[in-house]
Amino acid sequence: MPGPFRFGVQVSQGESMSDWRDKARKIEDLGYSTLFMPDHFGQELAPMPAIAMAAASTTTLRIGSLVFDNDYKHPAILAKEAATIDVLSDGRVELGIGAGWMKSDYDALGLPYDSPAVRVDRFEEALAIIKGCFTGEPFTYHGEHYRVTDYASFPKPVGLLPILIGGGGKRVLSIAGREADIVGINPNLRAGEINAEAARDSLRERTDQKVQWIREAAGARWDDLEIQMRFFVCKITDDRNSLAEAIAPMFGVGPDEALESGSALVGTVDEVIDQLQQRRDRWGLSYVVVGDENVDEFAPVVAKLAGS
Amino acid sequence: MHERRFRFGVMVTNVGSGKEMSELARRAEGLGYSTLFVPDHFVDHQLAPTVALAHAAAVTDTLRIGPLVLGNDYKHPVVLAREVGSLDLLSDGRLELGIGAGWMTVDYEKAGMTLDRPGVRIARLAESITILKGLLADGPFTFHGEHYRVTDLDGQPKPVQRPHPPFLIGGGGPKILALAAKEAQIVGINANLRSGEPTSPDAAHSLVPAATDEKLATLRAAAGDHFDDLEIKTLVGFVHETDDAAGIVEGMAGAFGVTPDDARMAPVTLVGTQGEMVELLEARRARWQMSYHVVGSEVLDTFAPIVAQLAGT
Repeated sequence: MPGPFRFGVQVSQGESMSDWRDKARKIEDLGYSTLFMPDHFGQELAPMPAIAMAAASTTTLRIGSLVFDNDYKHPAILAKEAATIDVLSDGRVELGIGAGWMKSDYDALGLPYDSPAVRVDRFEEALAIIKGCFTGEPFTYHGEHYRVTDYASFPKPVGLLPILIGGGGKRVLSIAGREADIVGINPNLRAGEINAEAARDSLRERTDQKVQWIREAAGARWDDLEIQMRFFVCKITDDRNSLAEAIAPMFGVGPDEALESGSALVGTVDEVIDQLQQRRDRWGLSYVVVGDENVDEFAPVVAKLAGS
Repeated sequence: MHERRFRFGVMVTNVGSGKEMSELARRAEGLGYSTLFVPDHFVDHQLAPTVALAHAAAVTDTLRIGPLVLGNDYKHPVVLAREVGSLDLLSDGRLELGIGAGWMTVDYEKAGMTLDRPGVRIARLAESITILKGLLADGPFTFHGEHYRVTDLDGQPKPVQRPHPPFLIGGGGPKILALAAKEAQIVGINANLRSGEPTSPDAAHSLVPAATDEKLATLRAAAGDHFDDLEIKTLVGFVHETDDAAGIVEGMAGAFGVTPDDARMAPVTLVGTQGEMVELLEARRARWQMSYHVVGSEVLDTFAPIVAQLAGT
């Protein structure tokens, strides 16, 4: 039985202290649950210091990453930073983490872009280390990629610090089903960039399949999982058909099918609410994330649906 | 040309909540401290510096923030550059970028990182500084070094302080001091930590006045005319207000195997009445140009009268 709806906003840029503070406070005031930041090397701010500042400027807003790329930092460092923000925010952090996919980032850092299998292997090891760190107790983990010896991480998170794992492929979604508190259903990004195939991978039947993978891996845990989706095509409009026709070619399907994809959320406030309720019934989706540019237009949806 | 006016920092290693951090940062700001510093280690119950500093900046207006110091080996310089740019941008230009080659053996052992010999770590730090400065400056940047490769990358976001926030580089050995002379705006005069332990006899002996004279001579020689532009900083790890300086100093001298005069003048200690502390700080500034002193947060209040008297003079 999926829980009540909550909403997040993915924000990547800020101009100054007051600009960033105002953004965070506005998101909080409008009833969104969470401010998320991506983790890339284009125009984006660095997520860790930016979410720490957002947390310090608000009182109830949750903060998180959507999602940290495991390859950019040692997992013990990532865990320590997340736990520090958690303590300083009285337990408001959600740690989103993934195996890494954006090829241009790896090129920027001069890091090898290993095969998906290797990146996911490393990610699984990192996950074990992060969980070990969050216990605050000494632990040892000697894996293929990391060696942590008799290490007690500090600080310990305030309570259970939710781990959000996002992915689009069977292996990552199965790991998420077994290990995560929040599962993000994404397009499969094995191409290393956002392309037409990635768009098609969010269509309804593919999303059905992903939910199935998560359920199979989760077993009895399924009922405790929170299912999250990030909607990239978001628009409050009373002319959903025109937009549907405009986006259909990107998905390579007809307009109606495009609108039902797991990355589109288009219509009047009431139509969007209907769609979200249908998707909760179908996929268990209850955690809805939109972009910074949609904060205002989605506020009425948030006002009506959050917590219900 | 640096004016050598006194300013003071406070180092915070651990707080229990955001409220405590906010109060501490605001108090430091109100008492006239210039900067709040956070160290960077995996042990000894310390917070993660970049995010703790972000919190401190978000709840204050003028207080500067800085890691003391980041271990270069813990993060890739491209990752670090993005965090440095973000912290400086979102604090409206209040970051001081403390960075060092990494030294604490136990950090490396616990996290499974390779502790290379000092020369290699310092060479890597030098490359990292080049990358940081390149990415924080305008335009795309390419660097193909021995340890890192960055190709045609325009680092984002850019800092408020241009071309980059002041670099604070600290050290005790000649190699690191030479690097600091070349790259830093603020130079930390520290113990020599080649032993990998902060309280080793080697580290203690490297702090006596004669050894500090040598460090300053090394720095001067490396910096040339540029020496006059450098701000000289030190961490005063032991502050003790007392009417019986002689007694305390004698105890310290015995524990570290140095003479009482050496223990009293060593830049990491400050023992005596408030008047005596002021005199010692004046004497150290005259002898070593040290004008930037950092104390631990546990003495924030007891040290405040000295800050009130000396800051800006």
